[in-house]
Amino acid sequence: MSRERNYFDRVHVWGAVWNYAALLMMLCVPVMVSVVLKTWPSLGIMGKVIGTLAPLYWVTGIIEVVTYVPMLGAGGTYLSFVTGNISNLKLPCGLNAMENAKVHPNTEEGEVISTISIAVSSLTTTVVIAVGVIAFSKVFDSASNNATFNAAFNNVLPALFGALGASYFAKHWKLGIAPIICGVLVLLISPATGVGVLMFVTIVASLIAAVIIYKDLWYDDFKAAKAKKKAAKAEKAE
Amino acid sequence: MIDFKETFSMYLIAFGVIAFIFAQSLFFIIKSWKHGKELGITKETMVNTITSSILFSVAPAISILVTVFVLAKALGVVLPWIRLTVIGNLAYETVAAETALNNLGGSLSMEIEDMKQFSTVVWAMTLGSVFPLTFLPIVCKKLQNKIGGAVSKSEKTKKLGDILAAAAFIGIISAFIARAINGCTVVKEPVLDAAGNPALNEAGEKITQSVIKESAGLLSILTLIFAIIIMLVLMALCKKIKALEKFESFAMPVAMFAAMGCAVLFSKILPPDLASFTWYEIGGVM
Repeated sequence: MSRERNYFDRVHVWGAVWNYAALLMMLCVPVMVSVVLKTWPSLGIMGKVIGTLAPLYWVTGIIEVVTYVPMLGAGGTYLSFVTGNISNLKLPCGLNAMENAKVHPNTEEGEVISTISIAVSSLTTTVVIAVGVIAFSKVFDSASNNATFNAAFNNVLPALFGALGASYFAKHWKLGIAPIICGVLVLLISPATGVGVLMFVTIVASLIAAVIIYKDLWYDDFKAAKAKKKAAKAEKAE
Repeated sequence: MIDFKETFSMYLIAFGVIAFIFAQSLFFIIKSWKHGKELGITKETMVNTITSSILFSVAPAISILVTVFVLAKALGVVLPWIRLTVIGNLAYETVAAETALNNLGGSLSMEIEDMKQFSTVVWAMTLGSVFPLTFLPIVCKKLQNKIGGAVSKSEKTKKLGDILAAAAFIGIISAFIARAINGCTVVKEPVLDAAGNPALNEAGEKITQSVIKESAGLLSILTLIFAIIIMLVLMALCKKIKALEKFESFAMPVAMFAAMGCAVLFSKILPPDLASFTWYEIGGVM
């Protein structure tokens, strides 16, 4: 156990150093652009813009951290929050890798596999975007107006999550019913609900369904603990 | 004349960002690989993880590349390239850029030709998105220690922990499945007057409306159903045929590509009205 904690502790130290280095690097981008262009935004306008964006982005940021951190592993978390595209790429990629390697999240093995997978995914995405921008920016302009191309890439997410979902639903099909129904109901009421908020609802629905369906795993212990507490209280009163 | 949004200096900044991402990713791969070996994880498992993660990431990466080109029409290609390489995603970047431009009397629907506008957009995109990095290291360890403590108790608690973890994963997947069944994406755009200029309200502020840009429909539902069916068939094949067992980790990217192929096929064989049918009209106002 202590060796396990030691490894996780080291990952957190590395992650924190890379995290703050990334923060500094990202802040350098607008500074350098302003220096190169010799023009800076006015403080008044920036105050207005941040005043509009902060409630939306920062609240979403807090929800994302609380939702994703438990599932990505330590190394995967630090990498994902720097490279972005978490819900549509890094998270499913890490989950798929752990599933294939038959390891569990929050174990050292899960940590290793999830980190390798998310790091490789970050490299692949960076290379694909860089090669695409440099080599294909002219070709892509016409390709993005092509119907065949659009039919394939407008449906990346249904293809990705359908395939990923199948492997989970095959094992835990009962757990999938409540969150999908809840998600669809929320979208029937408010079709443009953002994926961050929707995900929060479906995760809560899924966890409640799991607690009810797998009652036998906790209810006896819960009952016994309650009885023990009652007996101890009665004994104390006597 | 060279566009100020795509100068050599802008490209240098982009390469600096890419170098950072490479360094961080390689650092974590090397550390994890070494620790994986110490734990006895086989080289085959780790190589399989790398190969399947590459295959898994290619298609979503191309769809991110498409969004780079969508934003490039207004912002030039380098800024969206930088923003979608670090943290960014289309929805966040569009909202940040549009908010900044609205305050300056511009819009993402036209090319930015003013340097001050451009510089404001870069600052807005960055300051909007870096917030999680300011507190992530403080809460990350605490959150994970809590979970680690919970899953390392009794066998029964461990089993419950595994089920709750699976339930949380299924919750995430369900959100995207629900969106493929009945969701849509809207973007706030300025209302234009008869002359094609942004309309203003009594206070002199731009009037905006929510325009539907993407919507679930027949094609997204068919793609979803076929992705599930193809994946289940591939999983069954890998289990039944011993020679295919080692390819199990590639079932997921193969199923994803095959489902995208089905989307193309349906778009060709279905009558155009059906193939393009969506629950919410693209370009409509919500």
